[in-house]
Amino acid sequence: MANYLAQFQTVKNSCDRVVAAVEDVSDLWPTVKGLFEEHQPLKRALLTNNRTRNPVLVHNLPVEFILTTDARLRSRSPQEQFLFWFREPYATLLLVTCEDLDEFKNILKPRLKLIVQNDEREWFIVFVSKAHPSNDQATKSFKKVYAKLEVDFSSKKRERCCKLDIHGPNANFWEDLELKITECIRNTLDRRVLFYEDEIRKLTEQRFMPIWNFCNFFILKESLAFIFEMAHLHEDALREYDELELCYLETVNMPGKQREFGGFDSEDDKATLLKPGSKPLTQIVQDDSFREFDFRQYLFACQSRLLFKLNRPSEVSSRGYSFVISFAKALTLHESVLPFCLREVWVINACLALLDATSSHNHDGVVAPDIEKEFYRLQGDLYSLARVKFMRLGYLIGYGTDIEKSPLNSACLSMLPWPKPAVWPSLPPDASSEVLEKEKTILQATSRTKHFGIQRKPLPLEPSVLLRVANRRRASLSTGNIPEIFDGRPGFTEGSGLEASPRAPPMSRTNSSPGNFESPLDRPMRLAEIFVAAEHALRLTISDHDLLKALSSTQDFEHKYLNLTKGAAENYHRSWWKRHGVVLDGEIAAVCFKHGKYDLAANSYEKVCALYAGERWQDLLAEVLPNLAECQKNLNDHAGYMSSCVRLLSLDKGLFSPKERQAFQIEVVNLAHSEMENPVPLDVSSLITFSGSTGPPLQLCDGDPGTLPVTVWSGFPDDITLDSLSLTLVATNNTDEGGQALKSSAATVLKPGRNTITFALPPQKPGSYVLGVVTGQIGRLRFRSHSFSKGRPADTDDFMSYEKPTRPILKVSKPRALVDLASAVSSALLINEAQWIGIIVHPINYSLKGAILHIDTGPGLKIEDSYGIEMERYVETDCDAGTSKAEVSVEDSPVSPKQDSEVLNLCDGKIVFSEWASNVSSIMWVPVRALSEKLARGSSSVTPLKQDILEGMRTVALKLEFGVHHNQIFERTVAAHFTDPFDVTTRVVNKCNDGTMVMQVMLHSLVKANLIVLDAWLDLQEGFVHGKRDGRPTSTFFPLVVSPGSRAAVVFSISLDKTMSSGKDLQLPESILNIKYEINGDRTAGAHKPVDADHSGSDSERRALVFKSAIVLQRPVLDPCLTVGFLPLPSDGLRVGKLITMQWRVERLKELKGSEAVEHDEVLYEVNANSENWMIAGRKRGHVSLSEEKGSRVVISILCVPLVAGYVRPPQLSLPNVEEENVRSNPPGPHLVCVLPPLLSSSYCVPVK
Amino acid sequence: MIVCVAVVGHQNNPLYIQSFTEAEDALKLHHIVHCSLDVIDERVNNPSKSGTTMNEAFLGLLYPALNYKVYGYLTNTKVKFIMVTSDLDVRDTDVRSFFRKFHAAYVDAVSNPFHVPGKKITSRTFSESVTNIVSSYSFN
Repeated sequence: MANYLAQFQTVKNSCDRVVAAVEDVSDLWPTVKGLFEEHQPLKRALLTNNRTRNPVLVHNLPVEFILTTDARLRSRSPQEQFLFWFREPYATLLLVTCEDLDEFKNILKPRLKLIVQNDEREWFIVFVSKAHPSNDQATKSFKKVYAKLEVDFSSKKRERCCKLDIHGPNANFWEDLELKITECIRNTLDRRVLFYEDEIRKLTEQRFMPIWNFCNFFILKESLAFIFEMAHLHEDALREYDELELCYLETVNMPGKQREFGGFDSEDDKATLLKPGSKPLTQIVQDDSFREFDFRQYLFACQSRLLFKLNRPSEVSSRGYSFVISFAKALTLHESVLPFCLREVWVINACLALLDATSSHNHDGVVAPDIEKEFYRLQGDLYSLARVKFMRLGYLIGYGTDIEKSPLNSACLSMLPWPKPAVWPSLPPDASSEVLEKEKTILQATSRTKHFGIQRKPLPLEPSVLLRVANRRRASLSTGNIPEIFDGRPGFTEGSGLEASPRAPPMSRTNSSPGNFESPLDRPMRLAEIFVAAEHALRLTISDHDLLKALSSTQDFEHKYLNLTKGAAENYHRSWWKRHGVVLDGEIAAVCFKHGKYDLAANSYEKVCALYAGERWQDLLAEVLPNLAECQKNLNDHAGYMSSCVRLLSLDKGLFSPKERQAFQIEVVNLAHSEMENPVPLDVSSLITFSGSTGPPLQLCDGDPGTLPVTVWSGFPDDITLDSLSLTLVATNNTDEGGQALKSSAATVLKPGRNTITFALPPQKPGSYVLGVVTGQIGRLRFRSHSFSKGRPADTDDFMSYEKPTRPILKVSKPRALVDLASAVSSALLINEAQWIGIIVHPINYSLKGAILHIDTGPGLKIEDSYGIEMERYVETDCDAGTSKAEVSVEDSPVSPKQDSEVLNLCDGKIVFSEWASNVSSIMWVPVRALSEKLARGSSSVTPLKQDILEGMRTVALKLEFGVHHNQIFERTVAAHFTDPFDVTTRVVNKCNDGTMVMQVMLHSLVKANLIVLDAWLDLQEGFVHGKRDGRPTSTFFPLVVSPGSRAAVVFSISLDKTMSSGKDLQLPESILNIKYEINGDRTAGAHKPVDADHSGSDSERRALVFKSAIVLQRPVLDPCLTVGFLPLPSDGLRVGKLITMQWRVERLKELKGSEAVEHDEVLYEVNANSENWMIAGRKRGHVSLSEEKGSRVVISILCVPLVAGYVRPPQLSLPNVEEENVRSNPPGPHLVCVLPPLLSSSYCVPVK
Repeated sequence: MIVCVAVVGHQNNPLYIQSFTEAEDALKLHHIVHCSLDVIDERVNNPSKSGTTMNEAFLGLLYPALNYKVYGYLTNTKVKFIMVTSDLDVRDTDVRSFFRKFHAAYVDAVSNPFHVPGKKITSRTFSESVTNIVSSYSFN
């Protein structure tokens, strides 16, 4: 059967669609052929899936109509038919027509019966009606025949007839035809599939018998697959191929049978994994099976063809990638026999072919996003695989210097073993010029020194030293010598072969035979020779022109390398694997960089750096960042360059040597001070961090300035001079407002590591503050740092270093009382005398160092300048609460400070506080004198004293300036009460028969001090004379001590002056009481000895004080002319708010003799009432007529309302035009009336139920 | 042999990376570990596709690369362990047990009260125990 392989292939290739045979019974085919072919392919064909027997809808199934008389169908032998059953017709159409019923019965029917008796064929009859629609007769007869035909050939189970009107509408016919053909195809397909499966099963059962032949199995299996494929059942076909592959892999790996692998043909390096027809199967057949190299590719090609038909390019990619990997493994197993580097070349070609095919079949957006991402990932994988292998080839032929020694390339190449040919290719004889050239390029290749003088050992690109591997695999060299070749040349064992090669002459001390030097075959090859040899060998291996060209020169190599890298990067970017994409971008950047395309390189490098920096892969970052910096430097991107330098500095210290770090700093500083056009802003958060001082936050009072120490950590390796440095504070309660910037002193030098910098702090608003941003300037560089360190250097490892510290650094308290000024004494002082006024200065947790007190006295008060102001420590005592609240007791003070009292001098109304008084309460005694011109007046029951509280009040305005810069100001006005020592009340206690009156003068002490009355005398007014000799009380009672608040009385005897010597001018209008007294009090309690008295020497000389008070003495009414009587009030009493009529009766007792009264028959009256107690309606003042006759009387009434309840003085009626001595009143003196409270009013009350 | 083991934090930042090659080529292993995070990310973000339930910490083989293999392990705190081996014939069960031991060592290391979570692991004890675990596993 294997002999049929070639035939099978040709047959398979020649037929590509389902065939339907046409039995042209009535010679109609030429007429209808066009119509039939027009209606191809079948729009919808319902077939069945063979395993699950599920219906599968196939669209656009092409069907080829072939006449049974055609040579293609006729010439086949039954044997052939059986073998290649798939090409046999799936349906047979019997094309008939007949107009005459008899003809049908006699000729057509028997003929048809004969044809259809062969049961194996699926057949149906197409009856063609040639009748024109206008010809009713003909139409009828065709109908009759067709009806008969249906009766004869259709059964209930199956309709086998359909009718085509050539001249009429046929819409239904074509559908009908499609259904019938589909039915036939389906039935035939099922039958054939069953048959093939049966055969395959039989063959599978014989698998382990010696007669088993894989080719036979393959032909059956592929025939089945082909049947499916023809019927567009690709899914089924694919499964057959999958099974075939599995079966093949099992047989090929079967031990015992050594088979040829293949891969020696001239174009085998071109991967044919997508071209099933690239090599005829007959060529790869070997015994009873196929060569693995070709056959596996063939199978994969068939599978991928089906997958593409199924529109699954991503599956081709994924299967393809695994196939390439597994096939590469197979190639590795046979590497020793395959051409040099066939594996690498094949992988490159396979990947590129896959990429080409899949990307042309892939349409974006057709599949689900994740499948699409996966697809791009696979494309990226294929590209990178090709890239790696391409680099490997490039390295082998000496382009290693052009390959960037990046971590990616190192990871790809250094873990990839060298090719292991049985014999390393040897140098062709005429290659000496090439060797020379290679050697030259090797010598010229200098490893590029990195910017900043960074020296790193380049990463390896080779798994082991190529020189050694190549020489070891050379047939002519005994392996024993090899290790010794490299003795004493440590460069070889450590690093790249490339580096060592320039100084690697093929000298070998241990090669004892001198002949080795002459024969190039026997001595170890030099690196350049290895390269040239590999290049020659590769030229033999590679048949693909593009690949050959790509390896022909450095430029082409780089071009291809770039293409592959870009392809990989782009695809990875469209997949999930962003990191892969970005890293490959870095490789592209390296090439751009090499060619001076710095802008492109910088862009890509920035992405790579961002990736590494974002995830803190500092080691990798340290590899790329210098390159970025160099690009930026070349682009004159000062900001970027400095930022890169700063980033380099902020990397882990272990990643760069101190020297390199210093180089970074020098770059930054030099650039900052260079002629940059614009100031460059730069974020140095990673390098300069700061924190507040440890411990509690600085506490400040509102309005106070301060100094704020801040710890700044510098990550620079050397001292760095900052032209300026400022710090913002951010209020925690108010985020809208940008923090206030604090400036540090002009230039600051930051040492590496910890620095403490003190910022002057202007007054801040109340609230708590945290550190905001540190900004500063170095030359034209404006840097800022947001980074807070928690008491240690910037930890670059810490992701959260940007988090705001919650700990406030400064607290400014809300405005509060910082100091209190109060008057020390509340009781009254002596008026008109020099008195000490005490002012307590009480600092409230605030220092008053250097405070200045302005003292400004109000009107009626002056400071006695001649005396100093005494200031002393003030101790508040809790004992004796209620009496004196404040008491100075220096002696009792538990701690005796060095100084706690002194005398200060007032200059310009200011006092400067001493040091000792800064934190303690102190009291200040200011000598003042309250001035009052007014003479004190005594009171009696007739003329009650009107106490005016404001009269003795004096004020002192105080203004205290304190705080560090006298920024705090406290103002207060202190009131002091001044008074006369006594309140004098007089009354006549007795009228003696001899006309003398005993007048009692009561002295009520008004001050909180003992008053010692030394003497008292009266200067009497006109009309009165002293009763006794001199009008003095008996002197033996003096001195009389009057305690605070107590009363004393002095009795004088006076009598009326009968002589009435009115001519005397010396007489006083009112009497004056003179009291000579002394005061004995404490200034802390109230009134005390006048200041001047204190200072005036001894006790004997002390000045006695004299108090004068005016006393009004009233002469009795001697000549009453009029009498005023207050008429009784209603008996129900007075009530608040109730109207009442007050009435007075005025009666003339006798005719007034005085000449001053002008209108004799009228009297002027006036009603006086306290407006607080009474509301008066009506005329308060007016004239009433009163006849001059004696005994005439008039009643004056006035309406008034009492306003307050209690005993109040009623309104008084007075007669202003009449002398007091002529009016007699009844009652004679002031009296009181009772006013009741108002009745309860219910008008505003809500009744309660 | 195992050429590299790494602990990567939940923000994909390296916490510990130790290579066991003699040459000074740790950087390429950094690169391999870093890039393998792509695969872990993909698996974690598309749990349905990877097939394995996320209940299991062991992520299996991350890279079907030609010349080395990368295995991953994801703890429930999203800390990743990544192991790079140059052995091409490795049994999953061995790798599983390796990762279990490694996880235990890691837990010990981060349980140290002086260790700041999220910071690089600098403990020498951890380093030693990792070296011991690695040397006890040569998969061939």
